[in-house]
Amino acid sequence: MAETMIKTEELRYVYSKDTPYEHVALDDVSIEIEKGAFVGLIGHTGSGKSTLIQHLNGLLKPTAGKIYVGGEDIWADPKDIRRFRFKVGLVFQYPEHQLFEETVRKDIAFGPKNMGLSEEEIEKRVLDAARFTGLTEDYLEKSPFELSGGEKRRVAIAGVLAMEPEVLILDEPTAGLDPKGREHILSEIKAYHERRGATIILVSHSMEDVARFASHVLIMDHGKAAMYGKTREVFSRVDELVELGLEVPQISRVFARLRANGAAVPESVLTVSEAKDAVLALLGKGGEADA
Amino acid sequence: MLKDITFGQYFPGDSVIHRLDPRIKLILTVAYIALLFVADGMIPLLFSILLAALAYALSKLSWKLVLRSIKPIMPIVIFTAVLNIFFIDGEPLFEWGFIKITDRGVLTAALMCVRIISLIAGSSLLTYTTTPIALTDGLERLLKPLTKIKVPVHELSMMMTIALRFIPTLIDETGKIISAQKARGADMESGNAIQKAKALIPILIPLFISAFRRADELALAMECRCYRGGEGRTRLRQLKMAGRDWVAVLVVAAFFAGVILLNIYGPGVMRL
Repeated sequence: MAETMIKTEELRYVYSKDTPYEHVALDDVSIEIEKGAFVGLIGHTGSGKSTLIQHLNGLLKPTAGKIYVGGEDIWADPKDIRRFRFKVGLVFQYPEHQLFEETVRKDIAFGPKNMGLSEEEIEKRVLDAARFTGLTEDYLEKSPFELSGGEKRRVAIAGVLAMEPEVLILDEPTAGLDPKGREHILSEIKAYHERRGATIILVSHSMEDVARFASHVLIMDHGKAAMYGKTREVFSRVDELVELGLEVPQISRVFARLRANGAAVPESVLTVSEAKDAVLALLGKGGEADA
Repeated sequence: MLKDITFGQYFPGDSVIHRLDPRIKLILTVAYIALLFVADGMIPLLFSILLAALAYALSKLSWKLVLRSIKPIMPIVIFTAVLNIFFIDGEPLFEWGFIKITDRGVLTAALMCVRIISLIAGSSLLTYTTTPIALTDGLERLLKPLTKIKVPVHELSMMMTIALRFIPTLIDETGKIISAQKARGADMESGNAIQKAKALIPILIPLFISAFRRADELALAMECRCYRGGEGRTRLRQLKMAGRDWVAVLVVAAFFAGVILLNIYGPGVMRL
């Protein structure tokens, strides 16, 4: 098994303890994410997804339990917590709402500057991050507030990428974008994953996106890690997913139905291109039998 | 940090205190504050605090909320105490160089501290047990006579409703923005005063922008529903006085009488 990047041990978090609003958001979550994995994190609203990811870079301190990043207990020395924020980059939902600088360049440089890097290194990282997110040089001198929604989002993501985190966590990075914008952002994330060998955790409501990009799937339900495993394994457990009120990718559903009706198709089909291969294989076989 | 701000926050419940008419609660809260200032010695003061304690007990809220409401005003309390202890003349209890502590100073400081603490603790109960909507409804109704002298009471109370409504939203938003900037390594704890003030810029700018955005959206939504001010507007919830409201008035009146009697006939200890 590959090196472990993130590990949580019986992580527990309670919101508003001792008030009428008390709520257990994380309930003994123990997971292990290996280095270089692309994890799709799925769950209903209020299932604890957002709470979990805020623990992984030390924004929230667990009520009980431990978090290890790269083998180190991140709360071993609370004063040292910022180091892990640079290691684990977190892109919040609607990250464009956090933009504040006069120019795109300055805003992207905010993270690297906080890391205490040299001017040249900051400049290099800003340009790298801008290129990664498809922002050309002439964007850099614009005010982030005059950009369109999708462009703003890219600036905000670039702001996190510029810290070159080993782990990149994104909370629904495509929410509220048009199909073209979604495709853009997802392919940037994919590129960052492949070229940098980074570990990615993508919170998403789109089963299709998760099926297309993720190597692993983590399913949260009522503050618990309900399922964790390889994407193919998790999505083949159709009945359990349905029981949790979640869907599997449309195409997987079609193929599960086909299998139920006696068609000899593979057990787990996740994407349309896989479906195409499966259908062709089936037809090909059928053709041979006829001949 | 932010979740410690409880002032102006509602805690749902179904107690007698929760169900009191908001108008009565407003008036009685003002009466309670007046009571604290009418009490002119430690004994009448402690007696009037009993009223707040009784209300807290009836509201069935956690006693920890009292502490939480007091925490943010502790600097003011300490400042007042120090000021009073050192700068009020009377029989000196302790003298060292130019520092002089007098009996009157200590007593005034003690009275002021108890007064401020019980004022905040008691009046917090109003917002703990009343929804912001009920509160402004009550306020609007109470201020209605002022429309005769052209005070835009409805507009003011609508503004207040909206402001109150957005306090939790903005606190929430602030929390999110702080988290997002912290995730980018923003350091808000260390550094001197100037650095700390500078560290607020990445928080405040997004916060203002989002406040304006929300205001725009809300104005549009209100216009879409043909909002045009208070004239001829009827209410979904009519305020009606119930038996418990009159009982509450009587209880507070009794406390008032008690404090006045203690002021006049009570023991002469710990008074100014």
